[in-house]
Amino acid sequence: MARAGAALLALALLYPLSALFARIGAWQWSAQVREPALASVRVSLVLTAIAMVIVVVLGTPMAAYIARCGAKERLVWQAALLVPILLPPLALGILFTLAFGPFGGIGRLLQHYGVAMTNNAPAFVATQVYVAMGYYVLGAVAALDAVPSMLQKQAALLGLTPTRVFFRVTLPLARLGLAVALSIAWVRAVGEFGAVVVTAYYPSGMPVQLWVDLQSYGLPAVMPLLVIFLAVALPLPWLAHVLAQRRSHA
Amino acid sequence: MLDAHFTKRRRDFTVSFSLKLGPGESLGLFGASGVGKSTVLACIAGIEDPDDGYIDLGDVHFFPPPLPLHRRSIGYLTQEPSLFPHLSVRDNITFGLSKIEQADPERAEWIATLKNRLKLAPLWNAPASRISGGQARRVGLARMLARRPPLVLLDEPFVGLDRQLVRELIDDLVFWSRNIGFSMIAVDHRADVLTRLCPQMAVVLEQGQVIQRGSWADLCSAPATPLLQSLLAPL
Repeated sequence: MARAGAALLALALLYPLSALFARIGAWQWSAQVREPALASVRVSLVLTAIAMVIVVVLGTPMAAYIARCGAKERLVWQAALLVPILLPPLALGILFTLAFGPFGGIGRLLQHYGVAMTNNAPAFVATQVYVAMGYYVLGAVAALDAVPSMLQKQAALLGLTPTRVFFRVTLPLARLGLAVALSIAWVRAVGEFGAVVVTAYYPSGMPVQLWVDLQSYGLPAVMPLLVIFLAVALPLPWLAHVLAQRRSHA
Repeated sequence: MLDAHFTKRRRDFTVSFSLKLGPGESLGLFGASGVGKSTVLACIAGIEDPDDGYIDLGDVHFFPPPLPLHRRSIGYLTQEPSLFPHLSVRDNITFGLSKIEQADPERAEWIATLKNRLKLAPLWNAPASRISGGQARRVGLARMLARRPPLVLLDEPFVGLDRQLVRELIDDLVFWSRNIGFSMIAVDHRADVLTRLCPQMAVVLEQGQVIQRGSWADLCSAPATPLLQSLLAPL
């Protein structure tokens, strides 16, 4: 009975994917649709990849630090990281534009040096970093927490400095958890619409282009890009999660 | 020479401990479960920091201030051998040894001795995550001894092993302790294990306090408390 209920719920959750086969007429993939669509794929992949590098490079040391913190200090860091996660995306986009535009302190400084933080690649990447960082760091903290501290202490007693312990013991044992954290960050960033549409309408990534196509040409013009979008966003995180689950049950 | 005198507050009582242990000497730390024996070893190893006092090993000051673990050069083996599951048995045993150290003929011979004596050859390239509990204890022992530490701390590392294996491991440890000359502090709640492992000297703890120290013969002939008498009595 319970299994049947679970199966029913799982099917209900997967049901929207069946719309990929909906009879909405021939999909439109004319040059008018195709060229901006492919450009948006390039924008999303390249700029999200850059954002992920920044997230990993800055977020991993922070996660390693938080994982070593006492409970009270950890709460402070986690509370701070939750803010960009909990902010409604549109609100985040507006706040970001104001803070990094002429009305914000850093924005004025950037403008002084001729750097505009709106409707360009840096604004796109920075927005994605803001959107994804909290997810990655909190996930990475959980992954690093899962490594038994006694293994790290034992490695230190065997003569390894803290840095070498991190790279030879902590990181290898946490790698799958870190991959899951990164995959969540990736999905969150590559699929971000609400904040990006405010901060970086141009260069248009896939979510913004999907919205533009939907408004301009209707559903048949959206479907090809939607398939590409799902193919780019879903498989890697899905695989990371499945592997992590398999390992935790092994 | 290990020279230690420290206290460590625990939730239910304070552990007070002092000790001088010469090179090659061994000490059995005896007492019922939960009296602070493991806390003593954890403080000496650096897993926990004492609240006050001092711990020196030769010229090296362990505490205060707490010396980072990687500078302590001690062996520490617990009930859980804490093998690195992502590495092979071989890589676990040579963990922490530099390439130069591993290439050193004397070191290589020593590791080969450990490998043969602890019957590790069939497991040598197996992942550490795939070996049995008894095998893991042997690997943990080999890993601890591979660096030839001057001080070895054993926190009930033989719990749950069959008596034959325990006898073999103890005989190996005693043999190497004499040959290499490392000092040894072993914790156990079983007197027969400790008398075989550390026949020279024993210290008895109750509620964090040392209630008796001396030879095992002294302890057996005049136990300081009824609890100690019952712990020493055969089943």
